[in-house]
Amino acid sequence: MSNPLTMKLEQGAELQASDRARLETVVAQTRKVAPREDLIREGEIPENVRLVLDGFACRYKVLPDGKRSIVAFLLPGDFCDLHVAILGSMDHAICALTPCTIVEIPRSTIDDLTQNFPRITRALWWATLVDEGILREWLVSMGQRPSDKQLAHLICELLLRMQVVGRATENSFFLPLTQEELGDTLGISTVHVNRVLQQLREDGLIKLQGRTVTIPDVEKFKQFAEFNPNYLHLRDTKDIPVSDAG
Amino acid sequence: MHYYFDTDNDDRTSRDERGQDHADPESMRDAAIRALPDLARDDLPNGDRRVFTVKVRDESGRYVFQATLSLIATWLN
Repeated sequence: MSNPLTMKLEQGAELQASDRARLETVVAQTRKVAPREDLIREGEIPENVRLVLDGFACRYKVLPDGKRSIVAFLLPGDFCDLHVAILGSMDHAICALTPCTIVEIPRSTIDDLTQNFPRITRALWWATLVDEGILREWLVSMGQRPSDKQLAHLICELLLRMQVVGRATENSFFLPLTQEELGDTLGISTVHVNRVLQQLREDGLIKLQGRTVTIPDVEKFKQFAEFNPNYLHLRDTKDIPVSDAG
Repeated sequence: MHYYFDTDNDDRTSRDERGQDHADPESMRDAAIRALPDLARDDLPNGDRRVFTVKVRDESGRYVFQATLSLIATWLN
């Protein structure tokens, strides 16, 4: 099975054997990061581009009064900071939520990819645009969806994203988030997260065993969440052409 | 200290079986009150009268704190 970066980028371009071989070398050098460890802090200027190869990390910001907001989840195959070479210092921090395997990619490698691998370059653009799409959808959720649908929508999204990189079955995946972290993601109190999770369980929409989420009826759950996966721009949604760029 | 937060929106009661730790009662109080606008936001503007409640139990099962938020909507003609 190919690595999660390749699996993900296959969604954004028609990769060929030479692209896949190059991506294998990109992810060859890994290091481990412990849970709760910051991969990078706000204000730092990262030397390398980082990629999550295994585990679950998040982008977050902390306000002066200590309140935290989680603004993205980084799953296997997700870049932490693809464009730091352009932007300079980090405007947010990234923290490992579980033990993570991280790849440090020198900027020179990114330059090589963008100059010599047009299909990979296309896929990197795709990945960046999808990140923006996810952020838009989270804003919509936070502004307009009631908490139960907001949480259900997030679970639908994570199920699909985990499936893309081979980390979920058709209706189940490992969700290593505390209720506090979920609250900081959804913008609601921990007490309310607990209530909403319990409500989804009581209504038979999800099952929780430890940190594994199972969705007994995925179609019903997606309907409840009013989930439209168009913003993830995956291949089977067929909303964009994926055949060009070389 | 471990506290359990039971919530009610006048339609559905949720009994907290999991609970959460708080360093002191003030922190528990703040957490309970902070849940009220979340409860209200999800259900307003349904109905003219609604009471949103958070009741907090301590480890012995005794209720030690309660906070409510009420909606009273009235036509003025």
